[in-house]
Amino acid sequence: MSSVAGGLAYFVPAAQTALEATGQVIQLPSPSPTSIFTSRSPSPSPSSVPGAFTVLLLGSDDDSKFSADHVLTQSMILVRVVPSTKEVTMLSIPRDLYVHLSTGGFAKIDGAYSYGGPGAAIATVQQDFGVHIDDYIWVGLLGLVKLIDAIGGIDVVTSNPVMDDYYPADIYSGWPYDYERVAVLAGPQHLDGIHAMQYVRSRHGDLQSDFGRSQRQQQVLMAIRQKAKQLSPADLPAISAAIGGELKTSIGLSKVAQLLPLAASFDNPDQIRQIVLLPPYTHGDGPDGSINPNWNLILPLVRQYFP
Amino acid sequence: MMISRFLLGAGLAVVMLVCGTTTYVYLGTKQSKVAAPAQKPTAATPRAQALTLPGTLYLAQSGALYSLSAGRFHQLTPEAGWTQPSLYPDGSNLVAVKQTRAYSDVYVINRFGTVLRQVTSNAAPARNKDTGANHWSFYPRLSADGTTLWMAYDQPKYGYDVVLSIWAMPLAGTVRQGRLWTSANDYTGGDVQPLPVRQGGAMYTKYSYGPDTKLISQLWYTSRAASAGRALTTAAEDCRTPALSPDGTQVAMICTYEKQVSYLTIASWNGSTLGARRTLVSDQLVAQPTWAPDGSGIAFLAPGVAAGEFQLWWLPKAAYSPPAPSPSPSPTPGGPHNGPLPSPSPPPPAPPVKAIQVTTNDGFDATSPLAWLG
Repeated sequence: MSSVAGGLAYFVPAAQTALEATGQVIQLPSPSPTSIFTSRSPSPSPSSVPGAFTVLLLGSDDDSKFSADHVLTQSMILVRVVPSTKEVTMLSIPRDLYVHLSTGGFAKIDGAYSYGGPGAAIATVQQDFGVHIDDYIWVGLLGLVKLIDAIGGIDVVTSNPVMDDYYPADIYSGWPYDYERVAVLAGPQHLDGIHAMQYVRSRHGDLQSDFGRSQRQQQVLMAIRQKAKQLSPADLPAISAAIGGELKTSIGLSKVAQLLPLAASFDNPDQIRQIVLLPPYTHGDGPDGSINPNWNLILPLVRQYFP
Repeated sequence: MMISRFLLGAGLAVVMLVCGTTTYVYLGTKQSKVAAPAQKPTAATPRAQALTLPGTLYLAQSGALYSLSAGRFHQLTPEAGWTQPSLYPDGSNLVAVKQTRAYSDVYVINRFGTVLRQVTSNAAPARNKDTGANHWSFYPRLSADGTTLWMAYDQPKYGYDVVLSIWAMPLAGTVRQGRLWTSANDYTGGDVQPLPVRQGGAMYTKYSYGPDTKLISQLWYTSRAASAGRALTTAAEDCRTPALSPDGTQVAMICTYEKQVSYLTIASWNGSTLGARRTLVSDQLVAQPTWAPDGSGIAFLAPGVAAGEFQLWWLPKAAYSPPAPSPSPSPTPGGPHNGPLPSPSPPPPAPPVKAIQVTTNDGFDATSPLAWLG
């Protein structure tokens, strides 16, 4: 009994964080009366492939420029996992995509979370892309930095020198509107949390701006998954303590336990598909600097990989 | 009887306390150690004496420069942003980069780490608060006569378009006396890793947007300042980090084929074109190949365990010499250059001679070239 108590004490930080972060209830907003997209996909139904599931990954600038529950999602990635075939598909949704929001009206899709939390973000993606989303994971800027540091850094082949003279110095700076210089050099290397964040967040030096950043975000996600394979359950308390408060998910504890061994079994990089909605899927002449979707191309693509 | 019960109770309490604590501590020992910080090379165990490499090797870790000589590491500089050491041609001193959050400069240091001179001055003027008024200098290399400093330098730049270009300047002069050698592609990161060659000019790594819109790297060669230059490798190979063999006839490089993998590849070099590719290491991430000055092998950096920090590795010459016969790749019609072009797919797998891991617990900077004094 005392051994059990010792074990419980060891895992208390993980359990506490897990209880706080996991199993978040998704509150989908009521469809807006002006919704014209509901006809596209009346009610996305769960996948017909047994065991397959789709998760919406959300990443936010949650520095002091924003109030805590009204942050934009700088990163939105749809991930579909098919355990039976060990296939993973990642589709990055441009943050500036001009869409109909589930809360009503048209705006850049990064505002959906700001207006209605994860429920609104999920409902917006579901109605516009015609997909069924099973769960979401939200992580703040500092959460990603802490997560990567807590797992001891990641190995990435950075695609090119990422140079940015006006990178936001909003994480550790006292003035969140400040700038700093960033130079993440290219090639195979081990990145800590801060440098990994700089690599996935910088966009000024990329001709493809947010699209280039999306490709880098997918690289880092893959690297985190690779590193996660080296972890043991005994690492969870330290990791939980590190990222506390910077991560929320609707995935319950029991499902997390099921997913951990599953993650380690996805070994074949050729089974992992990465999609970024570059032109002609999108074109950049939307209102207020937004990007217009070419639904005639996007929806068949989504139906193919997120059936 | 009462005393016995008291003793029994106390004993049980002690047992419970010990069991609980032991379980807690035991679970702590089961952590994977993935987050354990890298040890300093001077403190790492097991130490590097297990394999003694010839000469003296200079490496960077956590902003400090280290030398490895006769199987023993020595810390040359404090952990203060030092990286990318490169030797004088006569081995008397080194040039190295000292990087701060806003700029980096090239310094001349002696082989014991003492700063002899600051070569560039890339900090913005004190009153200028524009972060863009600072500059980066990276990858310093000296010409064969030791008078010219080659480097990647972020000038010209236009607003958000910050790219590195290849510059050459008098080592004894200032960057204002320098000369821009290459025209970097906008919004790519630019041209880096200059490698002056005997025939004149320099080999370097150029970043571009490939046919599939992905950013790729290629080895390029230019013989004259401001000339167009030409590609030595294809976009599909995605190669970078050229390193010349001591006799100047072979080039080692890292090719990634646009994936999250890397191959240590060598090719013959005739002063104008690269020959058939040969992959030496293909089953792990590899970085910074560096030829031993005595030609006995190639050192490189690679993780010691999957997804771990980068360690020093050694590939003996037996792994790649004598070279296996391989057919020359046929040129691609209409290609951008006249040199022999390889197949876009990775060359055949590595030979049976395995690379040797020299260090185990360090965390070397994989973006910093190694310098090797014979």
